[in-house]
Amino acid sequence: MLLVALLACPLLAAALAVPGILTRASVARAGAALSGLAFLLSIVLAGRVLAGGVVSFGPEEFLRVDGLSAVLLLVVTGVGFVALWFGEGGARPPAAGTEGGAETGRRYHALAGLFLFTMLLAVTVNNVGVMWVAIEATTIATAFLIGLHRSKAALEASWKYILIGSVGIALAFVGTVLAYFNFVQRVGSTPYALHWTVLSRVAVLLDPDVTRLAFVFVLVGYGTKAGLAPMHTWLPDAHSEAPAPISAMMSGSLLAVALYAILRFKVVVDACLGTSFTDRMLILTALVTLAVAALLLTRQANYKRLLAYSSVEHMGLMCLGSALGAPGVIAALLHALTHAAAKSMAFLLAGEIRDRYGTASLASVRGLLRAMPWTGALFAAGILALLGLPPAGLFLSEMMLLRAGFTAGRPWVMGMVLALLVLIFPALLTHLNRMLYGEPPEGTPRGDHPRRLMPLGLNLAVLLVLGLWIPGPLARLLWRAAEIVAP
Amino acid sequence: MAPALFSRLVTLASSLVLLSGLAVLWRHSLAAYIRTFARQSFLIVLAILLIAAQERDVRLCVVAALVLVIKVVLIPRVLHRVQRHVAADFEIHPYVNTPLSLVIAGALTLMSYAVAAPVVSLADLPTRGGIPLALATVFVGLFIIISRRSALSQIIGFLILENGIALLAVLATFGVPLIVELGVFLDVLLGVLVMQVFVYRIRETFDTIDVDRMKDLRH
Amino acid sequence: MIPYLLEALQCLLTLTLAPGLIGLVRLLKARLQGRRGPPAWQPYRDLAKLLDKERVVSTQASWIFHATPHLVFASTLVVSLLVPLVAAPLPFDRAGDLIVVVYLLLLGTFFLALAGLDTASPFGGMGASREMTIAALAEPTIALAIFGMGAGAGSTNLGEIVARTLAHPEATLSPGHLMAFAALFIVMLAECGRLPVDNPATHLELTMIHEAMILEYSGPPLALLEWAAHMKFFLFLSLLSNLVCPWGVAVELSPRTLALAVLALVGKLVVLAIAVTVLETRLAKLRLFRVPELLGVSFILALLAITSSFLVR
Repeated sequence: MLLVALLACPLLAAALAVPGILTRASVARAGAALSGLAFLLSIVLAGRVLAGGVVSFGPEEFLRVDGLSAVLLLVVTGVGFVALWFGEGGARPPAAGTEGGAETGRRYHALAGLFLFTMLLAVTVNNVGVMWVAIEATTIATAFLIGLHRSKAALEASWKYILIGSVGIALAFVGTVLAYFNFVQRVGSTPYALHWTVLSRVAVLLDPDVTRLAFVFVLVGYGTKAGLAPMHTWLPDAHSEAPAPISAMMSGSLLAVALYAILRFKVVVDACLGTSFTDRMLILTALVTLAVAALLLTRQANYKRLLAYSSVEHMGLMCLGSALGAPGVIAALLHALTHAAAKSMAFLLAGEIRDRYGTASLASVRGLLRAMPWTGALFAAGILALLGLPPAGLFLSEMMLLRAGFTAGRPWVMGMVLALLVLIFPALLTHLNRMLYGEPPEGTPRGDHPRRLMPLGLNLAVLLVLGLWIPGPLARLLWRAAEIVAP
Repeated sequence: MAPALFSRLVTLASSLVLLSGLAVLWRHSLAAYIRTFARQSFLIVLAILLIAAQERDVRLCVVAALVLVIKVVLIPRVLHRVQRHVAADFEIHPYVNTPLSLVIAGALTLMSYAVAAPVVSLADLPTRGGIPLALATVFVGLFIIISRRSALSQIIGFLILENGIALLAVLATFGVPLIVELGVFLDVLLGVLVMQVFVYRIRETFDTIDVDRMKDLRH
Repeated sequence: MIPYLLEALQCLLTLTLAPGLIGLVRLLKARLQGRRGPPAWQPYRDLAKLLDKERVVSTQASWIFHATPHLVFASTLVVSLLVPLVAAPLPFDRAGDLIVVVYLLLLGTFFLALAGLDTASPFGGMGASREMTIAALAEPTIALAIFGMGAGAGSTNLGEIVARTLAHPEATLSPGHLMAFAALFIVMLAECGRLPVDNPATHLELTMIHEAMILEYSGPPLALLEWAAHMKFFLFLSLLSNLVCPWGVAVELSPRTLALAVLALVGKLVVLAIAVTVLETRLAKLRLFRVPELLGVSFILALLAITSSFLVR
């Protein structure tokens, strides 16, 4: 029942946005409240999973939450809560027409609710096919959200997004069909053939060559949605042109959900072929992704694109982690949590900065600390966290990743990763410094509203706590999830 | 129906599906692309009905009816309306010229035979001859998206890709479970509706549907 | 004795029926276009008229100009000995298979192009270069289509292909077979100078290809060249029809089966002639730079034919 309630929250939020039921302001507040409720429910569910093992609902466990799903639920609902709460203004609603204000439109809330619902469905459903449908639905829901501002750049971004996203998802479906075909040929047709649980049980019987082919298609397909190179080309455009809360949700949760899909397939493929094939493919993809992100990050002239490329980099790290055995998976999932916190905070603040300065160009943002002291400080904290500096949680997860890499016997790979991270460090830091210090341009209004930034307290708390120590229950949950992916 | 004849007919239908995908590489008129897509979907309906008759599967008849309604009637109608409103008649000089496109399509077909080899050897179904052709249709659809410059052509390329996947699903597994099938149809329909809205907006903003003009965001 | 008679019969059939076929095509085309048209035996009268006329030769012409009509005529006649018109297998089969047939026809094209250049007339040169472009583009298709057709039979020997098809009728429905037929049909349109590649009835500079090469000929050599062109068309069509639909071809030799075979051949040729005529009336001539696209399509068809026959068992 908990599961159904969890899924119903965002759906209800979307439904309430229909004209005639609530006033515009109430729609926004209802959205924030319902996403908060969803966050609480996912924490409760995580507790249940820790205690009892698995929470399921429906015939042959149609909806199923195990350790891995629980972690992803926390990521998705957490980011959704912060984004929707912040987006509508916290204590003081933002002015209409700004990045903060345009979002109070009904269409925005309906689509955002649907977006959240489809992500939750993708993470909780047991059936591979329905998971695919849910992820495709996220593409459709977000396509309009990206193009909300109707500028030339936004239109170009949303066209690229929907085309490349749909093609990627279609290729993932080819992989799904091949997996289903494999199952039916070797085992026979059963009504629940597409359930993870069923596939994992019979994985040893599946044909190895077809499984390899299916995994390649799945990696390319869902990798497109996860922002892995070389299929990442839509990501900088889409994440930089979308409204700030949507960028936060996409960078923080949607990319992780796509990686989750790849991980679920990895479990089945590993049971059939052993881990070497998938590990090699994931490591290769991760290295290419990191290289692309590192090289292109230095050329950026727009701070929202900068953050988007940073997402590509961190997705590369997460992908790498999942190929390094159980300790690597723990590092990757911890990284998903901390990256979601840091990136969503950074994007939401970037939205505020853009509203104040009127442009997203790096060259024209100066003197952030003078014009918007609180925003600037939090933004700096976010970027420093993304760079992997202690005491932010990302430092801990990156250290765990490196250690997992060395224990898994891949020192050269880790060396390359370190080199690429070193490339990224000065680039981001120089851009940040230029933004923070100096005098703001003429005519920029000064002053800040700390109360507006209240929702980000959650992000900051997550980053600091996880940077110093991982709470017991969370550690156990991460271990549970890692055991599923790399037994 | 004798298994050999059934197998031949299914392979013939799959070849015609691939050939209609190639016809898009050869023709230059956008209205012709839409008609070709409708014909290709119709061929897929015939293939599904053939398999449904041979295997006596009612579920496949439902799938065939859905394909008929959505891909042969609805989507071409929507696309024709977009094409007329946007007043785009011919494909703007594609990135790859016609003879080279055809040769590349031939190479893609050979590649799909190689890629699908493990699948064909695993399958013991009479329909397995068409599997590489369905995969080739997927690759040809992908190639159309990459090499064409008009936004409408890219949508057609995406639809051909989806057609190839639908054919692959039908040939390899006699259809995926119905709930997934319904979800796929819904997604394709919604996807096309969303894309056509974007084509209108692109036309309004850029005065053309040439995607090469959208160059603001590069790196 | 019998083999020689059979081959002589094939020769005779080709010589006598080819102009009639062309006449039929012209008559049908005229009727479709709403005219009355010349009677079907008009080409015979044209040939007879030409044989009586004087020949005028350019002062620049060399031995190629004089030799070409005889060469083209002879090579086409030799092909008639190898193509299974009324019987399969033919006694002279061992001397040449499908590859020999196609390249004998191309030999004629080659010399015709040279003769076009030989007279130093600009039209001839233009026609020659266009013809060579088309022939060069059609070659890979021909090769692939030959292998496509031969793959099913396991040999490129024409008699064997026909025999194998007669033994396994359902092979005609295989996509490889049908696509090879489609590819060869397009090649036939290109090689025989039919629309949409070349207009056989035109003498306008912009649109001539075959006509441009034989523009300088007159009198009996022109008669030979025209007859050879008719025979080439006849042979291509018979080849296509007997490879794809070989029913009616005599396997054992007796007067009855042979008579039946002749009737079957005439029937199939009439069907194909109608198809060609309808196509010619419906399609406009392609601009020259679009011809590679058409031949590209036939290349792909031939390629798919091969992959379907070879790669899927």
